[in-house]
Amino acid sequence: MHLDSAQEKMLRGEEGEAKQLAMEIITKVGEAMAADSLVPIKSGHVLAHYSSLHEAGIEMLERFAGAGGTFAVPTTVDPASIDLENWRSFGIPEDYAEKQFRLCRAYSKLGGIPCWTCVQYQVCNFPKAGETVAWAESSAVVFANSLIGCRTNKITSGLDLACALTGLTPRFGMLLDENRRARVSFNVAAGSLSDLDYRSIGFFIGKTAGARVPVLSGLPRDITSDEVKHLGAAAAAAGPATMIHFPGLTPGSATETDASGGEKLERLDIQRKDLESVEGELNQTMERPDLVAFGVPHLSVSEMGDLAKRLVGRKLVEGIKMYVYTSTQSFDMAARSGIKSEIEAAGARLTHTTDAEISPLKRLGFNVVMTNSAKLAEIVSSEGEVKTRYASTDDIISEVTR
Amino acid sequence: MSAVYKGRALIPGDASGEVLLSRRAFTFAHGVDPSTGRVTDVHSDIRGENVKGKVLFYPFGKGSTTSSAWFLETAREGNLPAAIVTEATDLSAVIGSTLAKIVYGKGIPVASSFPREMYSSLRNGKQVSLKGDSGELVVPG
Repeated sequence: MHLDSAQEKMLRGEEGEAKQLAMEIITKVGEAMAADSLVPIKSGHVLAHYSSLHEAGIEMLERFAGAGGTFAVPTTVDPASIDLENWRSFGIPEDYAEKQFRLCRAYSKLGGIPCWTCVQYQVCNFPKAGETVAWAESSAVVFANSLIGCRTNKITSGLDLACALTGLTPRFGMLLDENRRARVSFNVAAGSLSDLDYRSIGFFIGKTAGARVPVLSGLPRDITSDEVKHLGAAAAAAGPATMIHFPGLTPGSATETDASGGEKLERLDIQRKDLESVEGELNQTMERPDLVAFGVPHLSVSEMGDLAKRLVGRKLVEGIKMYVYTSTQSFDMAARSGIKSEIEAAGARLTHTTDAEISPLKRLGFNVVMTNSAKLAEIVSSEGEVKTRYASTDDIISEVTR
Repeated sequence: MSAVYKGRALIPGDASGEVLLSRRAFTFAHGVDPSTGRVTDVHSDIRGENVKGKVLFYPFGKGSTTSSAWFLETAREGNLPAAIVTEATDLSAVIGSTLAKIVYGKGIPVASSFPREMYSSLRNGKQVSLKGDSGELVVPG
């Protein structure tokens, strides 16, 4: 791999220990992935939540921060494992919160933007088509490549910090035109679609496409960016997907032929029975839930407005909690617009800076979580500690409210 | 006679151990308990097995970008596999191993792209060795 003189300097430690460690990570990964060079990035997005990073992640972030590192490009951060403002009222133990706060302090010392959201592209980190970024958070990576048309690999924990600290990323994978072309084609042939169906479609293609980039046709023309967000998140949770071509939506992919670069693709229809099989897989029980979770990934303010409408005049059944996870910006807008109080009138709670799949659900006493998020259902059901119910918003509301 | 298969060494190094073979997408994130090395992912076909000291084979990675952090914690606890072999390159394993080396001095070899026929010669529990920089896997007959 070719390094220019400035990059060589960093690797030799002439720009400080933090940049040297970061360059060591980037170059090792670059060589392993057969990258020919390192390229500049416009922004970073990193992970700093305790439930996944554990002790080792705290030590890693503190080591970078202790070595005097600061991010070289604007850098945002995925949700924390606790609601950073209201954690006590959610029953988070003090010792657990302190682990998260160590990560927060190290992240802040590195100079990151404290957004604590997985939908940074909806609130505070706005690349444009054609730019290169280095983002962790698999759902954001799919959104970035597929709908924004910028370029990022699925940057996993550790490399995320290294890219943000150097402002560089190895040139391989989804940064290269030839790897972005569609290699398998899916067509939705399942009739009218509920909110759950978008997630199930994503999950199905994520699982079925494997390492091949999919192109997806047959979606309604009025699909919202929020629906694409959830579809992509489900695809990334089910398999290695980092991009989905949506003909007419994805920059550069007006048609399926554009998406594939002219290659004839294997074409698979997604039928109602395929979506039912996803539902079967993600529904582990018929037991009553003790937690309903909306917002993996974080809901936008318009999604919360829609939820508020569906909850009008209804009340959550005793013994069930309903948490709605969102970004701080959308939380504030929901508060100002009255959406927050409408949702709370039904007995639910809004929470920000955190998300369900990285919360200590078992430790908080939850045994059955019900959600319309295929991503949350996949993660929770994989862990096997908490059982999952997977259903549409309407089905959830009719079961858990009166 | 031993069979020797040629793949690509992503993180070079020598390793040997028992085969632990998964035919499904694999992740350390929420899928391996770092404190024991046991596979906990209910969707995994090797759930309940322990990765520690094994030569772990899987087709490709899946899911969350936190996988390398779970990998690093597994390294901190001393429960990593001896090596990882995948069909498609799993970036999480490459990064996890690089981090483990830098932070704890505990990197493991990672290799990919072996011929398909190799997989039919693998059985769980069989002893295999992965050779250094050449990316060769030796399977005893």
